[in-house]
Order: sequence, then C-alpha cells, then structure tokens
Amino acid sequence: MNRELRGNLRAAVAAGEMALRSNVMDSFVLFGLLVQPLVIAVLALWMLQDRGDNYAIYVVVGSGLTGLWSTLLFVSGNGITAERWTGTLEWLTSVPTPLTWIILGKTVANVTQSLISMVAAYVLASLLFGYPLSVSQPILFLVSIVLMLLSFVAFGMLIAPAFVLNPDVQRWQNAMEFPVYILAGFLFPIALLPGWTTPISYLLAPYWAARALHITSSLQGGTTEILASWGMLLVLTGVYFLIARRLFRLTLRRARQDATLGVQ
Amino acid sequence: MDTPAHASRPSVWQDLRRNTRLFFEGALLSYIALFRWLRPITYLASKVFMPLWQMLFFSLLGMFASAQEPTYYVIGNAMQITAVSGIFGVTMSIGGDRWEGTLPYLFGTPANRMSMVLGRAFFHILDGMLGVVLAFGWGVLLLGLNLSQTDPLALAVVVLASTISTAGLGLLLGCLSLITLNVMFVNNTVYFLLLVFSGANIPIATLPAWMQAVSFVLPLTRGIAAARLVIEGASLRSVTPLIAGELVIGAIYALLGYYLFRAFELQAKKRGTLEAF
Repeated sequence: MNRELRGNLRAAVAAGEMALRSNVMDSFVLFGLLVQPLVIAVLALWMLQDRGDNYAIYVVVGSGLTGLWSTLLFVSGNGITAERWTGTLEWLTSVPTPLTWIILGKTVANVTQSLISMVAAYVLASLLFGYPLSVSQPILFLVSIVLMLLSFVAFGMLIAPAFVLNPDVQRWQNAMEFPVYILAGFLFPIALLPGWTTPISYLLAPYWAARALHITSSLQGGTTEILASWGMLLVLTGVYFLIARRLFRLTLRRARQDATLGVQ
Repeated sequence: MDTPAHASRPSVWQDLRRNTRLFFEGALLSYIALFRWLRPITYLASKVFMPLWQMLFFSLLGMFASAQEPTYYVIGNAMQITAVSGIFGVTMSIGGDRWEGTLPYLFGTPANRMSMVLGRAFFHILDGMLGVVLAFGWGVLLLGLNLSQTDPLALAVVVLASTISTAGLGLLLGCLSLITLNVMFVNNTVYFLLLVFSGANIPIATLPAWMQAVSFVLPLTRGIAAARLVIEGASLRSVTPLIAGELVIGAIYALLGYYLFRAFELQAKKRGTLEAF
C-alpha cells in the first residue's frame, strides 16, 4: 500500500470516527436510527399479523431498511452540507486528503451504524412480540448485507454532492424518504404499485437490497433471483460511485470558481 | 400635575382590539418566517408531497396486510396529516423565537401572552386543514376513496376540530422547545406515535388496555373515528360528542402549553436564563 493511500485511509477512518461520535450525541440521528424504524416495525407487525409468523422476519428486515434509508438520506446526504453549517468545509478542502475520502469515511461509518435499526427491529419482534425469528439462509443473508452496505455507501456518496450542487434538490429531502420505502418494496411487494413505476424501482439499489435480504431471510425465491439481485447491486454500486466521482469534482470546481464554498 | 390613573389604563375594548391585532400579526409573521416563502419548494416538499407519500405508504401497507380496499387507512392517514402542521409547524413557530433570538424582545413587551401563544397556532390550523383536504383529494384520485355518502359540512367540522386539537398538542410541545434542545426528537417521536395510537392504522379496540388509555388522551383519536363515520354517511349531530371530546382534549393541551410558557418566562427572568439552553 503506497503512502498516499495509507494517509487517505487514515483520514477516512478518523472522519468516520468523528461522525460516529457526533451521531451518538445527535437526537435527530437517534430518532432516525431507532425510534422511527421501531414505530414502523410495531405498525407493520400489528398490521401484518394475520399473514402468519414468517412475516415477522420480513417486517424486521423491511423496517430495518427504512432506518437505513432515512439515515442515509438525512445524515449521509448532508455529509458535505453539514461541514458547511459548522464552517469546516473550507479547511477540509485545503488539506492534502481529498474531500472524497473524508466524506467516504463519514458515509461508511453512518451506513454501518444504521444496521442498528435492523438489530433493534429484530430485538423488538423477538422479545416484545415473541415472534420466533430465524434467517433462512444466514450466509447468503450476510453476503446480501455486505453488498447492501456497499450500495448504500455509493448512494450516499452520490447524494451528498448532489445536494450541495443544487440546493433545490435538497429542499425535496423531506419528500424523498417515503417514496423509496414504497418504490424499493421494503415492507410490501412493488407488485402493488402501477406498472410504470417498476423501472424506477430497478434503478434504486435499495430495491435490489430489499429483494436480496427478503429472499435470503424468508426463503421467498431461488438462487437465480438472489444472484440477479447481487449482480444489480454491484452494477448500481459501480454506477453510483462513477457518478459520485464526477459530482465531487464538479462541486469543488464550482465552489472554488464561484467562491461559494462556505455559502449556503 | 399628576395624570389620573384611569386616564392611562386602556379600556376593555382597546385591550381586545390590541390583543386581536397582536394575535393576527404574530400569527402571520411567524408563519411567513417559518417557510421563507421566497422559495415555495420547501412548502411543497414538506406540506404537499411528504404527506402524500406517507399516506400512500401506510395505505399500501394496509392493502398488503388485509388485501382489502384501503379506505380505512386512507382516512386515518389523511386525517393524521394535520399533525404535520399542528405539531411541526406550531412547535417551530414557537421555538423559532428562541432559535432566532427574538424571544427576549417578545418577553420585554407588555403584549398579552395568551394572544401571543395561541396566535402561533392560527395559520397552522388553516394550513393543517388544507393539508387534510389535499390528502383526501389524493385519496380520491389515487386510492379510490369514495366520498359520495359524505356530508361535506360535517367532514369540514371534524377536520377543523381535529386540527385545532392537534395544534393544542403542538403548542405544548412548542413550549417544551423553550426548555430543551431535543424538541425535534420529541416532536418526531410524538408524530410517529400518533400513527400507532390514534387509530390511523390500527383499530383502537384491538390495542391492549394501556395503549387504549393512551389513545384516549391523545388528539386525533376521536377526530379520526368521527371522520370514518362521516365518510360512511353519519350526520354531524351523531358525531358531535366525538368532535366535542376532540376540542376538549385540544383545549387542555393548549392550556398546559400556555402555563408552561408563562412558567418558562417567569423562571427565565428570575434566573437570567432566557437564552441559556
């Protein structure tokens, strides 16, 4: 590993650690990580109880994914904007470590931390509601989790500069939370939606992540479907990272040209 | 020569006029400040589309759960939209005075505190009603909600009462924002708990006794029940007890909020903690 890469990695890890430390103190993050997914889990467990015990794991996975998406949207999405708010963006862009690495470190930390949502939903369904929970294909489920995390990180890296480049996009942030819950089929199949929405779902990594996790946790499909979901996750992760790279360059160039780095 | 005391004291009529002006001016200014109307996108995203998506999500979840028409969930979640204005709008209007540093000036005036506090809710009540109307519109257009049996006047009264009672809770939460930094956590939590406890998505009769007891003291519970009855064809008279209950609950929360506001002002002035969090 060359020296530059090692330095960048060290900076990313430090940024991730800082993100985790500040998240622990942020009640808004705690709400997104724990309260909201748990309330959704309670509602879904109640509403889906007539569908039998095997739907409990479906709800655990689905409500956990709502926590992951909400945290990604509001915490990782604000990855760069938050530095603006605290006045540290100018400093971060003038250090030798590229800004991309710093935001990557923060996003990896945020997304990994969001797994707490799924664990909390599992504990709730298991202990409070007494559902017998088991993951039908644990190894494949774990692989799906890893691929899901990768794709969510890539998505976070995509939306963070997009929100900075166009503040009007960020103003839609509040209205972007539930559409993904719906279009990604976190808690019900997208077959309930009109056919014209299906291509939009296919472009969303959260849809393929939900599909892979639901199949591997509650045995609702075969190996081909799992592999197809993994493949799409990998492809979309690559595409998101490529777009994110361009957006980061554009963000920094435009901010320096227009002298708007610290301007809201 | 000394001025007679009665000459400087405003009459009841002058008092009323002054407080009414304060009520409406405060209401309008705090509402305008909240959304910074130069960019209506924020309003559209938070007040038109977010509620639509939320209603769609829970209605589709309900359809998946029961394989039935989503009417039950559409009505419950459309009514719940009033909490967006009632809780978030009102809280942010009151808390905004502290966050933006205008609270010390307000406390320095002799303005009537009741007009000041209640005024913060006024436009959010109108706005909340508009939100519910929009949500019902979405329900009719997208989810096949049938309003053919509905008495529009009865539904309007139910929506108004529910919005007032939710704004009452918002006033209480808003006054909490004067003593804690975590009010958005509390707001969000209350907002989401209403989805569980108000009967928007789960029939209250199926809840355990302790949860039913919580539902009983919350706003919206009776409003949602009344809206379902009215949409099925019930008359205004038959849902009057539910509407009255909803208004009483709202008034209790608003009064609690007002007394909290007064207590905060008193303590802040006594201890010099007006701008301390």
